[in-house]
Amino acid sequence: MIRVGIPRALLYYQYYPMWKVFFEELGAEVVVSPPTTQNMLSEGSSRVVADTCLAVKVFLGHVLSLVEECDCIFIPAVRSVKRKAYSCSKLLGLPDMTRAVIPESPPILEIDIDVNKGKPALYRAIYRLGRHFTWNPFEVRRAGIAAWRANLDYQQLMCKQGLMPPEAIEKIAGTPQVKPETHTDYPAPTRATIAIIGHSYFLYDEHISYRLIHRLKRAQNRVLTPEMLTTDELESATARLVGKAQWTCDHEVVGAGGHYLNSKADGVIGLMTFGCGPDSLLMDTLHRQANRSKTTPFMSLTLEEHTAEAGVITRLEAFLDMIERRKRRQVAVCV
Amino acid sequence: MRIGMPHMGNVYIPFKALFRRLNVDFVLPPVSNRRTLSLGVRYSPEGLCLPFKLTLGNLIEAAELGADTLLMPSGYGICRLGYYASTQEQILHDMGYDNVEVVKVDFSEHKLSGLLKIIKRLSNNAPWTRIIPAFRIGLAKLKTLDKMERLVQKVRPVELVKGTANKLYAKAIKAIDEAEDSKALKKIEKAYINQFNQVAKDPQAQPLIVGIVGEFYVLLEPFSSLDVESELGKLGVEVRRRLFLSDWTKFTLFLNSLGINETARIHKAALPYLKRDIGGDGWESVGEKVLHAKEYDGLIHLAPFTCMPEIVARNIMPSTKENIPVLTILCDEQITKTGMLTRLEAFVDLLERKRRVRHNS
Repeated sequence: MIRVGIPRALLYYQYYPMWKVFFEELGAEVVVSPPTTQNMLSEGSSRVVADTCLAVKVFLGHVLSLVEECDCIFIPAVRSVKRKAYSCSKLLGLPDMTRAVIPESPPILEIDIDVNKGKPALYRAIYRLGRHFTWNPFEVRRAGIAAWRANLDYQQLMCKQGLMPPEAIEKIAGTPQVKPETHTDYPAPTRATIAIIGHSYFLYDEHISYRLIHRLKRAQNRVLTPEMLTTDELESATARLVGKAQWTCDHEVVGAGGHYLNSKADGVIGLMTFGCGPDSLLMDTLHRQANRSKTTPFMSLTLEEHTAEAGVITRLEAFLDMIERRKRRQVAVCV
Repeated sequence: MRIGMPHMGNVYIPFKALFRRLNVDFVLPPVSNRRTLSLGVRYSPEGLCLPFKLTLGNLIEAAELGADTLLMPSGYGICRLGYYASTQEQILHDMGYDNVEVVKVDFSEHKLSGLLKIIKRLSNNAPWTRIIPAFRIGLAKLKTLDKMERLVQKVRPVELVKGTANKLYAKAIKAIDEAEDSKALKKIEKAYINQFNQVAKDPQAQPLIVGIVGEFYVLLEPFSSLDVESELGKLGVEVRRRLFLSDWTKFTLFLNSLGINETARIHKAALPYLKRDIGGDGWESVGEKVLHAKEYDGLIHLAPFTCMPEIVARNIMPSTKENIPVLTILCDEQITKTGMLTRLEAFVDLLERKRRVRHNS
C-alpha cells in the first residue's frame, strides 16, 4: 500500500478530511506528521531564506519529519478556490519551493487547483492526481465525490456545531487530537466573549499560537473563531471593509474580523505572523476599522520565531483585564 | 480636479506630456528622496514592501501640493498590489486629506482600451482626436528615454572620465522632457546618440557583464536600489536588463493580445524548477537565472523586503543546475549606500577572479 504523507500545516486545517477520504478511497494509506515542535520549526527555518513567513517554515519542518515515513508527500498548489480571488505566492509555489529546498524529500504529489480555469480543467487536475493510484477514471470520480462529501460534512460540523477544526477533524477522521484532555475540563465561560481571528494554520497550531485558545478558555472566556461563521456572514463583512475579495484568505481575516468587530464579542484578537504578505495589509485594514468605529477593543499579535511565551501571555492578560474593566464600567453606567 | 501620481524612474515624463496636451491640471511631486521615504515609512503598515512605502510617500507629497485625484497602478493578481490603491486612500483619509481620491490605474483586464478609458475620464471627456495624438507622443517619449538608458548602460563602464555618461544622460532626459513634438524628439535622439558615441572610451576595457533581474518597481526606480546600475558602472561593469518600460508597454498593451508573449521563453526556462506563475516577477527571476547562466558573468537580484513572489524565487534560485553567481540585494528603508557598495565591490572582485581562472585554464 502506498503511504501518502500529509504535513500537519497550512491547508491541513481546512481540507484534511477531504484529502484523507480521497486517498483512502483510492487505496492509499495516509500518514500525518506529528504536531509542531520547536525542533521542526528550527529544522524548517534552516532550509529557507530568513524572510520566508513562519507558516512556510513550519510547513517545511513537517515535510522534513515525513521524509522517512512515507512514499510520497501530498503538496497541493492551491491557486484559487473562488473566482478572481487568489492565494498568496507562497502557497502557489509550495510544491516547487519544497522540491528546491528539501532535495531529499520523497516524490511530491502535486495538484493545481484553479477554479478560474473552469470545471473541466479542475476535474482533469483531480484525475491526474488520481492517476498515481489507479488508471480507472470512474474510481477517481467516486473518490472525488466521497472526498467532497467529507469536506461538506466537515464544514457543517464547524459551522453548525461550533466545533474547532482539530475537534471536527477528530470526529470525522478519527485522527486523535493533540491533547485530548485539554478541551474537557474548561470552567464555564462566564467572563467575556473573545473572537480570535487569523489563518487556521496559526490559530490551531498549539506550538505557534502558544495555545492561545486554550488559555482563553481556561480563563473562563468564550472563544469565537472564523470557522464558526457562515459564508454569507463572511462575505458581507468582507464586502463592507475591502469591497471585492482578492485573496482566498480575505474571508478568514477581514471577513471574520469585520463581522466580530460589529457583533456582541467583547474583544477581538488578530493573530498574524511576521512576514505574512496578505496579513500585513488585512490586519492593518482591521486595525483602522477598529480605530474608527471604536465599538470593540482590538488587539493584534504578531508572532515569529523569536516571540517569547511570556510576552504573549502578558499582552493577553492586559487585554483581558482591560475588557473586564470596560465591562464593569458599562454596567455601572447602566445602573 | 488636480491630478498627481507616484514616481517610478522616468515614467513621469510621458505622463506629463500626455496630460499637458490634454490641458489637465497636473502636479508632479518631487522625485523620490529621503523625505518621501520617511513619510512613506511613517504612515505605512510595517510589513509592507518598499514600493508601497515610496509610492505612498509620493502620493502624500502630491496631496501636499494640492492634488486630489491620485493615480496608482493596480490590477488583479497574486501580488499585494491589488490592494495598494485602496489602502493608500484610507491612509490619506486618516491623515486628514479627506477629499483625496486614489484612482486605480488597472489595465490587467482591458489592456489598451482600459488605459485609454481612464485617460478619457481624467481628461474630462476630451475627444479621441486629442487623446490619441497625446497618447502617442507619450509613448514616443517613453521609447526615446529607454533608448538613452540602454546607451548609458553601455557607456558607463568604459568611459575614461567617470561620470561623463551620467551627466550626458541627465541632460538627455531633460531635453526629452522639454521636447514639444515627435519631430523635435527625433532630433534630440539623434543628437544624443552622437554625443554618447563620442564620449572618450577606454579601448582596452573588457567590462564584466552582470544581469539585473528582480521585481518590477525596484528595477525601474533607481532611488529604491540606491542607483545600483550606476554604481556598477563606476566599478567597470556593464549591466544588462531585460525590463524596460517601453518594451513592457509595447507587449502588455499591444502584442500580448495578439498572442505574442516575450516572457514565454523565460517561463519555459524556469519550468524544471518552478512550474507555475507565482505572481509578480518571481517566475521571470528564476527563468532569467537559468537562461543567462551561460551568457553573463553574474546576476544581481533586486527584491523589495517582504516581496512574496521574490521570496519564493530566492528560495528556488540556489537549487538550479545552471550555475551563476547571484547577489541578492533586498531593498528597504534600512539599506545604506556604504553597505551596498561593500557588497558590490566584493561581488565584482569575485566575478573578476572567476573570469581570470576561466581564462587561464
